[in-house]
Amino acid sequence: MTAASPLLAIRGLRAAYGKIEALKGVDVEINSGEIVALIGANGAGKSTLMMTIFGKPRARAGQILYEGKDITAVPTHEIAHLRIAQSPEGRRIFPRMSVAENLQMGADVTDSTPAERESTLERVFALFPRLKERFAQRGGTLSGGEQQMLAIGRALMSRPRLLMLDEPSLGLAPLIARQIFDAIRTLNRQDGLTVLIVEQNANHALKLAHRGYVMVNGLITLAGSGAELLQRPEIRAAYLEGGRHA
Amino acid sequence: MTALSQETVSATRTAAGIPFILKKAFLSALVALVLFSLMIGIRTEAGPDGQLTYWTRFGELASIVGIVFGGSILIELARQWIGPIGAEKLVPPAVHRGMSILGNYLAPALLIFTLLVPVIFYNQRYILDLAILVLTYVMLGWGLNVVVGLAGLLDLGYVAFYAVGAYSYALLATNFGWSFWICLPLAGILAAMWGVMLGFPVLRLRGDYLAIVTLAFGEIIRLVIINWQSLTGGPNGVTGIPRPTLFGIPLDNSDDGLAAKLGIEYSPTHRIVFLFYLILALALLTNWVTIRLRRLPIGRAWEALREDEVACRALGINTTTTKLTAFATGALFGGFAGAFFATRQGFISPESFTFQESALVLAIVVLGGMGSQLGVALAALAMIGGFELFRGLEIYRMLVFGWAMVLIMIWRPRGLIGHRAPTVYLKKAQAISSDLVKEGHG
Repeated sequence: MTAASPLLAIRGLRAAYGKIEALKGVDVEINSGEIVALIGANGAGKSTLMMTIFGKPRARAGQILYEGKDITAVPTHEIAHLRIAQSPEGRRIFPRMSVAENLQMGADVTDSTPAERESTLERVFALFPRLKERFAQRGGTLSGGEQQMLAIGRALMSRPRLLMLDEPSLGLAPLIARQIFDAIRTLNRQDGLTVLIVEQNANHALKLAHRGYVMVNGLITLAGSGAELLQRPEIRAAYLEGGRHA
Repeated sequence: MTALSQETVSATRTAAGIPFILKKAFLSALVALVLFSLMIGIRTEAGPDGQLTYWTRFGELASIVGIVFGGSILIELARQWIGPIGAEKLVPPAVHRGMSILGNYLAPALLIFTLLVPVIFYNQRYILDLAILVLTYVMLGWGLNVVVGLAGLLDLGYVAFYAVGAYSYALLATNFGWSFWICLPLAGILAAMWGVMLGFPVLRLRGDYLAIVTLAFGEIIRLVIINWQSLTGGPNGVTGIPRPTLFGIPLDNSDDGLAAKLGIEYSPTHRIVFLFYLILALALLTNWVTIRLRRLPIGRAWEALREDEVACRALGINTTTTKLTAFATGALFGGFAGAFFATRQGFISPESFTFQESALVLAIVVLGGMGSQLGVALAALAMIGGFELFRGLEIYRMLVFGWAMVLIMIWRPRGLIGHRAPTVYLKKAQAISSDLVKEGHG
């Protein structure tokens, strides 16, 4: 892994909701082809970090560099055109629109050719065959796991280089969560997709990830490889064995 | 309300039925007593010398309260007898299936019938006028449907664009003598510009807040029209608005008129028939454009915006331009309809553009089923046609429509046609079964 030119580099990032500062100077690097996990307790600022990369809320200080370019001030809707895709927290699929339309919404942003679109769709169906079965069904009638698959599939339709997933296992049965994590691993290994994954489920996420960051109260307190972090006693105490928060 | 009624049903099942029913009926009667004690119990009138005279009518009051008491018992008994599922169970599945088959042929059949209306009712001026009125509201409904039904932006001031369109044509035609066919697109463009102007300040608003601002916008336009006497003629309106021509050929009994040119006998009905086909063409244009737009990324973006604004932004949709185009497109069709209204009436005044018009068009869209083109057309037919039907029973018609609206909202909370047709298919079209799936939420 070349630390020289990461795909996404975040330097001293600060963001706030009104007077409440949610990010207090965050440094994160994501290299091309990596899965990076961001773990932390509720309210640590994980989701805020993801949203700030998308410019909502805007960064108060610091820099976000994507492929070496500063995207800190790029409007939210244009960031998706840079082939950064996001599956937001709580899935947020379009409930009254069909599965097909939901997927099409993901592809509408890009200027991909119909052939490219077709092959991406095939790829999404190969990963999540359930979506093919439910193609004409309304999004709101899917189960929670299927909705999560749809949210990831929708994000993939824009043919991203960097995929950001916010709590993909939220509210899912362990078996379904495992399927989702397997799909993310497949995407990373076979398609070389770079993934930033925000998770409460630290065990799963750190096993999946090459590297991980631990966030507490708007600051990165620990960083290291996934396996390394899993072995740290304070991580085990705080996130894995149901102990007190650090 | 439904949650409450279901609770009461289950409560009656477990608790003793009769005391519960009596208690409920007693409460209803009490409410009726309070409500009607002044409205019915005391009758006031001006006496012969202008002084106030009043007398009590306790007998009538007692009978009203009694009716409420008895009626409440009957309704509660009926509700227990039908069960908690309510009206859905009353309609057998065979009827449902028959209706869905009928539904496939309803739209083309309606269209063919509409095309033939002037042929069938050629000698009935009243029906032709009514049909033109209905079609005007169909067009307004389809226009507002873009804003409310597709983009989910609650607009209570749609009449403003109707007014802008009407005054644009009226003023351009009377001041500069421009023909209808030049003014029509101009009226639409001007209305669309006002749509964008309304759109800018309300971009950050949604739901209730948006509704209030659009309501105010509708009133502002009307007040400006009333007070800007030098331009709009104020409350006197604009008179002598030219009639439309068939590409320069007037439809009158002059030597240059269409009848003379065709060598047929002149009849004033020619103009009515022409107006009918004109508004039909405009309405169908609205429908066609909306259907086309729904299949394009912009139309999908409107619908996605209605569903989830945050997700839209994450998918790279520019919510600003998406909202503005929705406002502008809706306003454009409102402007067209306004120009048609002006040329049909020959006279316009601010009185035609009150809030009631906005409310009526919105009611058409909501009753029809938000986003459903056929539903909106049917609702317009029922509302406007129904209004005329009950014209003889003037005092009761608002009552009837209030009831009809309440019943539709109970039985079909998503409107007459609540089913939304998807716009993307997998290679070949598949039978969509999602409308058979029980509704979740959203």
